[in-house]
Amino acid sequence: MRNNKTNKQSLLGARASRNISNTIIYIVLVAITILWLFPFLGIVLESFEVGTKAMDSNLWPIKFGFDNYIRLFTETKFLKWFGNTAFMGVCTALLQTFFILSMSYTLSRLRFKGRKGLMNMMLILGMFPGFLTLILIKKVFHDLGLTEAMAPVGLIIVYCASSGMGYYVSKGFFDTISKSLDEAARVDGATRWQVFYKVIMPLSKPIIIYSILMGFMAPWGDFMMAKYLINANPDGMNVAVMMQTWLSKGLLNDNYTMFCAAAVMVAVPVTAVFLALQKYYVEGVTGGAVKG
Amino acid sequence: MASVKLTNVKKIYGKNTLAVDNFNLDIADKEFIVFVGPSGCGKSTTLRMIAGLEDISGGTVEIDGVVVNDLQPRDRDIAMVFQNYALYPHLTVFENMAFSLRLKKVPQDEVYKKVTEAAEILGITEYLTRKPRALSGGQRQRVAIGRAMVRDSKVFLMDEPLSNLDAKLRNQMRAEIILLRKKIDTTFIYVTHDQTEAMTLGDRIVIMKDGIIQQVGTPTEVFDMPCNLFVAEFIGAPKMNTFKTELVFQGGKHYVTPYGAKIEVNGDKALALKEKGIESREIILGVRPEHFVLADPKDPGAIKCEILVNEMMGSELHLHVLADGEKLIVRIPTVSLTDDQRRSLVQGTTIYVTFEGKVMHFFDEETQTNLLV
Amino acid sequence: MKKLNDLEYLKLSKFKAFLYNLRLFFSSIPDWFGKLGLRIWALIKICVFAIRDELTDIGKTFVKGNWAVKLSFLIFGFGNLYYGQIMRGVLFLLFEITFIVYMFVIPEGGWHDLKIAHILQTGKNVGENSGMMVPDPNSKYGAEIWQDGDESTRVLLWALLALIFIVAFIYTWRMQVKQCRICMDITAQGKKIKSGKDDLKSLLDDQFHKMLLAPSLIGILAFTVLPTIFMMLIAFTNFDANHDGFKNLYSWVGFENFSNLGDVGQGGLGAAFGKVLSWNLIWAFFATFSNYFLGMMVAIMINKKGIKLKKFWRTVLVMTIAIPQFVSLLYVSKMFASDGIVGRLLLDWNFIPQSMLDARQWGLWDNPVTAKILLIVINIWIGIPYVMLMATGILMNIPADLYESARIDGASSVQQFTKITLPYMLFVTGPYLLTSFIGNLNNFNVIYLLSGGGPPNSSIGMVGGVEVGHTDLLITLMYKMTADSATSQYYMASVIGILMFLVVSVLSLIVYNIIPSTKNEEDFG
Repeated sequence: MRNNKTNKQSLLGARASRNISNTIIYIVLVAITILWLFPFLGIVLESFEVGTKAMDSNLWPIKFGFDNYIRLFTETKFLKWFGNTAFMGVCTALLQTFFILSMSYTLSRLRFKGRKGLMNMMLILGMFPGFLTLILIKKVFHDLGLTEAMAPVGLIIVYCASSGMGYYVSKGFFDTISKSLDEAARVDGATRWQVFYKVIMPLSKPIIIYSILMGFMAPWGDFMMAKYLINANPDGMNVAVMMQTWLSKGLLNDNYTMFCAAAVMVAVPVTAVFLALQKYYVEGVTGGAVKG
Repeated sequence: MASVKLTNVKKIYGKNTLAVDNFNLDIADKEFIVFVGPSGCGKSTTLRMIAGLEDISGGTVEIDGVVVNDLQPRDRDIAMVFQNYALYPHLTVFENMAFSLRLKKVPQDEVYKKVTEAAEILGITEYLTRKPRALSGGQRQRVAIGRAMVRDSKVFLMDEPLSNLDAKLRNQMRAEIILLRKKIDTTFIYVTHDQTEAMTLGDRIVIMKDGIIQQVGTPTEVFDMPCNLFVAEFIGAPKMNTFKTELVFQGGKHYVTPYGAKIEVNGDKALALKEKGIESREIILGVRPEHFVLADPKDPGAIKCEILVNEMMGSELHLHVLADGEKLIVRIPTVSLTDDQRRSLVQGTTIYVTFEGKVMHFFDEETQTNLLV
Repeated sequence: MKKLNDLEYLKLSKFKAFLYNLRLFFSSIPDWFGKLGLRIWALIKICVFAIRDELTDIGKTFVKGNWAVKLSFLIFGFGNLYYGQIMRGVLFLLFEITFIVYMFVIPEGGWHDLKIAHILQTGKNVGENSGMMVPDPNSKYGAEIWQDGDESTRVLLWALLALIFIVAFIYTWRMQVKQCRICMDITAQGKKIKSGKDDLKSLLDDQFHKMLLAPSLIGILAFTVLPTIFMMLIAFTNFDANHDGFKNLYSWVGFENFSNLGDVGQGGLGAAFGKVLSWNLIWAFFATFSNYFLGMMVAIMINKKGIKLKKFWRTVLVMTIAIPQFVSLLYVSKMFASDGIVGRLLLDWNFIPQSMLDARQWGLWDNPVTAKILLIVINIWIGIPYVMLMATGILMNIPADLYESARIDGASSVQQFTKITLPYMLFVTGPYLLTSFIGNLNNFNVIYLLSGGGPPNSSIGMVGGVEVGHTDLLITLMYKMTADSATSQYYMASVIGILMFLVVSVLSLIVYNIIPSTKNEEDFG
């Protein structure tokens, strides 16, 4: 009888402690949600402010209106910059996917002389800061006319040319596809090229989409290389570089709310694409972490 | 339909890991040959060299009289069934089976005819439009076999095709492969680690260990006359009992003396011993568990032992016994025992066993080879 | 030291086992270097033997070869053409012609530039004549016009290309001679030689890797290997705004730039670098591990049984990844600026007086300590979502029966975390931690867009023409040194680059030797 009672008590205790810990977790999660969404809420609200306004403690617009958006499209070349960035995004997505897939497929599924050496070489090259190479590239691109106004083209080349070195995540994916599929296909009469496009490519949709997504996102977030090649030329700007200049000391008060409007314009489409393809991104992140 | 000939085939991994060495074998047209051995013995590697999936480090492989060492798998005209089925997950069963025909650009009506015929034989017609994911293990195995069947290739290779199936299904598929073999009628090379599969399927069995062929022969040959201790212990289940003992040549007769008992060698074995002129010497004696019988304690050939474990298998008992500190396994058919006897065979009981004079195997202690081969 | 066998080792208490492992690690270091030495020696031996074999083979080929093979020693691909391999022959020939044209035919070609670049010859200029103003011959009034000289950067680049070309030339020469010999041998055996069509076909089959790799390798060679070698050479020059290679040629200075690093006294370059590097390492450490552990916590919280709205919490966090980083970084940086919303709110709520705000005493970015803390905190805000996603995936992969058996063995939930979850995560994410650490070492965006490297560190002052800040990383410093062409010190940037390479490679070497999960590349197949 006594035994029974203590059992019941400890059972109740366990349930109570679980309830307490769950409550704490909910509190933490709500706090996280507020903290994480607060800046975005601020951007959206302040973008609807009428007229320019410096920063103050009041996020809520004094008067609601689309003035900032109108100004963005009439007074600045925002459309051009947005177009530049989107153009770079699409081209980078396609080219980078091609480079990464061909490199990772080869390293994962084909065996050839010098494979290990090639991987070690890329590992060592990857240890140099990528920015270092940009000094020479800028000089050469300048002579070729691929900086300033033509910087988007130059930047696409910079983003894509060496992207084969970032093969790790997708090699990890290819490594998980059973090798006996290749062998079965080869016995069935396929050349290695046919194995590639008839057997492995149809199975690689997740990693292809992941690569496209990563390629598309890269130019939107890049600041360092873009600023270096664009050199403040208004025709070659991407959104990141332009918007950063708006927040520099002298221009801040005039442009702060417009910055918020531009931020919304940039964030909405990119976020939409990203959230739509979220599943593939998560797969890539998880797989990539495991396989390095 | 073709003969396959392997001459001095060798496989070296990396710098000096020898996986297969000095492999010589003639496989006749339409023969069903089985490579069997423990894992890592090189049987799969040999098969993959025949298929062209591994480079050949030395020697030659001929199919139908043509050296194929430098040919790509697709130019060797072979079909292969893989252990994990290797079905293309994105294709339907029909397209899986048609894959090789599509690559050869065979017209659609012929593809249809061949695939449906094979599916009919294998009983998978109703699954033709499904993806492999929706099939059970046994069904997948059939698709894999079907995919190889439609090729009409010269040689049919199977790499442990049944080892991913559960025990019951494996027995069933084994029987089906025997039937299938009659229908397909081509040269088969079959790799397995399971001696039962090897014994039941093969026209001839190739037993391998550490990359080297131990014995090649029909199932009966390797069972009755294992050429060395490894083959003797590998073929047959439970495995053969072996014990160090003495062969005594006395008055024109051979005797063996395990654990103090004295049993006369007779029949073919006695003749063979005489022919070879073998006299008294140390040997390793091999006796299969099923060749033991219960004996009268007074019999000079009786070995005294104590039961450790009694495994009731249904039709027979497997008795693990201890004779003079060494473990033996004895198989006794259930029907040969009275109810009283069966009840008395419990742990700790002392029993007496013996075996007939014509069923034993003699091995040299040093070289481990069969003295009579 | 004495090695214990497994059973002896198991007898040790936890502390003793730790000591034993520590001693084992240190006592293995000399051994490790010894092995490294042996391996290098073996490598040298292999190289020497390979070269010897090649040379004897070339000699044999020349002696035994017929006239076509002999002629191919001079004319690339001649043997291939002779034996009917038109495609290969033409390609080899084209390569030879391109080489000769590049090196000798075009004015100021490769050979000329290789000579005047004086690669690594201390004291000499890169190029011979600098550009200058000269009297205009057409002008009657003695006006001067600009006359182009050698341009150092171009000369060095062409010289480098010429070097690469020469290596490729030797390799190709050897290859085509060998191929000629093989053609001869095959013909002698009466077999058929591969045709151009066969070559093209094999590109889709047994040579498929060449086709797939070619575009990537060309890209990497042109845009990573070549510029990296070039910039490493720059570290041995005085390439800066004053010696821009255009008006003033730059020259080779030997190890001067590196020996300056040895100056660790007050105001010395070495001391400055030491300070930046130490903050760089501290930053990378905190940025990586704060994200890692907090992200893992959040993942565990969200995935806990009985917590509802899992998808919602996850999506909230994923939003931060989706929105381009510069947007959130710039906005957050302004939030915490001296007149930003956080300051204003604190003012409104009377936490700080107006005078403090006016005097900019509140500016979190202006105080080195608060700036550093803020950077790490904001980086947590940025980084948790990534780790949360990754950890979620891995947590789901931990077999549930591990937890079940642990619970039956009597483990509390804390023990379950420390004995199962954490070791599993650390084991599986070892490579991630390394890449993430390296990524944070070079995390340009977060630092540059948030603090811009500030506040300025007066105890360091100017280095390489730029003002060094308290929160500057090596990468932001490098960027600043090269961004403004009026003050650029490219050689300093290059020295920093090499320094960063050394830091990263040493770290990686250690980690790769410790973490088990980086080694089993082949385990999956």
